[in-house]
Amino acid sequence: MLMKRYELIVIGAGPAGLCAAIEAAANGMQVVVYDENSRPGGQLFKQIHKFFGSKEHKAKERGFRIGEKLLDEARELGVEVVLNATVMGVFENKEITVMIEDRVEHIKGNEIIIATGASENMLPFPGWTLPGVIGAGAAQTMMNLHGIKPGNKILMVGSGNVGLVVGFQLIQAGCRLEAIIDASPRVGGYGVHASKLARLGVPFYMSNTVKEAYGEGSVKGVSIVEVDKNWQQVAGSEKTFEVDTICIAVGLSPMSQLAKMTGCIMEDSPAKGGLVPVCNEYGETSIPGIYAAGDVSGIEEASSAMLKGRIAGSAISYNQGYLEENIFKENQAKYRSSLEQLREGMFGHKNKGRTDLLNTEEGFEISLNLLENGFLADVEIAHYPGVVSQERRKQGIVPVIECTQNIPCNPCQDACEKGCIKVGQVITNLPIIDGTAKCTGCGMCVAACSGQAIFLVNEDYAPGYATVGLPYEFRPLPQIGDKGIALDRSGKAVGEAEVISIKSAKALDETAILTIKVSEDLSMKARFFKSSKEVSL
Amino acid sequence: MNKITDRTFTGEEFVSHRDDSVIICRCEEISKGEIRRAVYDGMRTMSEVKRYVRAGMGLCQGQTCSRLVKNIIAKELGLKPGEVEIPTPRSPARPVSMEIYANDGMKK
Repeated sequence: MLMKRYELIVIGAGPAGLCAAIEAAANGMQVVVYDENSRPGGQLFKQIHKFFGSKEHKAKERGFRIGEKLLDEARELGVEVVLNATVMGVFENKEITVMIEDRVEHIKGNEIIIATGASENMLPFPGWTLPGVIGAGAAQTMMNLHGIKPGNKILMVGSGNVGLVVGFQLIQAGCRLEAIIDASPRVGGYGVHASKLARLGVPFYMSNTVKEAYGEGSVKGVSIVEVDKNWQQVAGSEKTFEVDTICIAVGLSPMSQLAKMTGCIMEDSPAKGGLVPVCNEYGETSIPGIYAAGDVSGIEEASSAMLKGRIAGSAISYNQGYLEENIFKENQAKYRSSLEQLREGMFGHKNKGRTDLLNTEEGFEISLNLLENGFLADVEIAHYPGVVSQERRKQGIVPVIECTQNIPCNPCQDACEKGCIKVGQVITNLPIIDGTAKCTGCGMCVAACSGQAIFLVNEDYAPGYATVGLPYEFRPLPQIGDKGIALDRSGKAVGEAEVISIKSAKALDETAILTIKVSEDLSMKARFFKSSKEVSL
Repeated sequence: MNKITDRTFTGEEFVSHRDDSVIICRCEEISKGEIRRAVYDGMRTMSEVKRYVRAGMGLCQGQTCSRLVKNIIAKELGLKPGEVEIPTPRSPARPVSMEIYANDGMKK
């Protein structure tokens, strides 16, 4: 039988697989990528939010745009991307079988990269098999790929970044998010993501789990219950919600079956999310020439997956003689330091799952309100370096950056042409506002902040009044002159507000900047606008 | 003998749990109680539980439930989930109809 042969076979066309293929093809290798889905890009095309990181990590770009760029790049480099192609098995001597339409193809590779990603974890509770209980990934697929609302009233289970980001997207899609719950006593994801939901009035119930979903034929409601330190349900603490959808975001597991099938050494690592192949620094497994990249070798996020793909792709190019040693070393150093940057901070590798951190690396107190309720308390705001003094605020418009945790992100720094914002070399540092630099109120920092944590405050607007410019990613946009109420960080109505300007320039990339006029005592409280035309958010 | 290979019957009665009726393997409709019972009956690895009650043998091939099954076995045996022996993945990694297999090797 005639067997096709490629220099490199990549299994999975997600961020890791595509980046590995691009890297190898750019060095001159002949590459094929197989993906079982009908669309390439893995999870990237569901990611409508702006990414974190620095410029080299494509921060402040939306995930699906990053996906489009990767696909263009792969196409230009002549990477063969075969879709609806299910890899059925990986065998000795780097032979694989792929199901394409109604046939099985046998293909050999000089090298293989397994980049099969991860699958969602499920949470079994009475009623979890009722229609209406869905994974957060499924919710994203419905909303962002197919334009379908997953439900009307939703409970989100899991406060990690997936739960928080998908929760926000559900509201953007017009669903009502009744609450976010998590068995852990602390919000698992970035505080800035949690704050985006809290200011819309979404309550956080920490140390809670699902007791039961009820309904005949589909979900009609859910009861939640508190858990104690030993994860035991506390009788009598139940609450019920009338919901039609329960969205589960309780972590991911590496899809490592194909890796295990190769016979390489595997490890069960809770830190990496489950069973993963043991890999060296280039992502090579214990079988020479078989690599793993992306979530299949340890759960991280898309930006890390892209770098892990590049590292593997460049190592393979070098092994196959397509890359000079000095260039290889240079590339590896670049990608590795970039990857290390993403792994820094309070949510990074070293601190994963830690609940004892009290201070940021710079020594600022970490807000417990943020960790327990999803928002910063009014009294805490002034402690952080992104918040200037009242004296400065009285002198005119200035950004207020409510970024209070060490997360790897710095687009705000480059966004300001006037040099108002400084993060510095360590990208996990909290941004510092230089109150002496002249803010023009352009709003570029507001739109550049992937966490939507920057507000433009002007306490010098008119006697008795202040203005607050806030990021706004809901449609339709309000109109100038619209009246409504200002919501504080917890989503509570705090006073009247009127829209006095709306910016939606192309450079802001769909993050509109709404400026509202509020009574002067609300300048540091008002963080969202709800039009009186809206029935509910 | 280690915990995994020691199957001496303890003589204790099987104790039902309140949530034993919760379905764990959706494809084959296997409940938590059936999996716990399998462990009680002497099954110690995921492969054994799989062959005994068919949990993880349905259409999705354990994509959703294998983590849950592993956790249940671990809890019953007092092990860490990572200590439970997992099944050997075999080709095909995804469901493939017999017709397609039959076409393998045929001229197009």
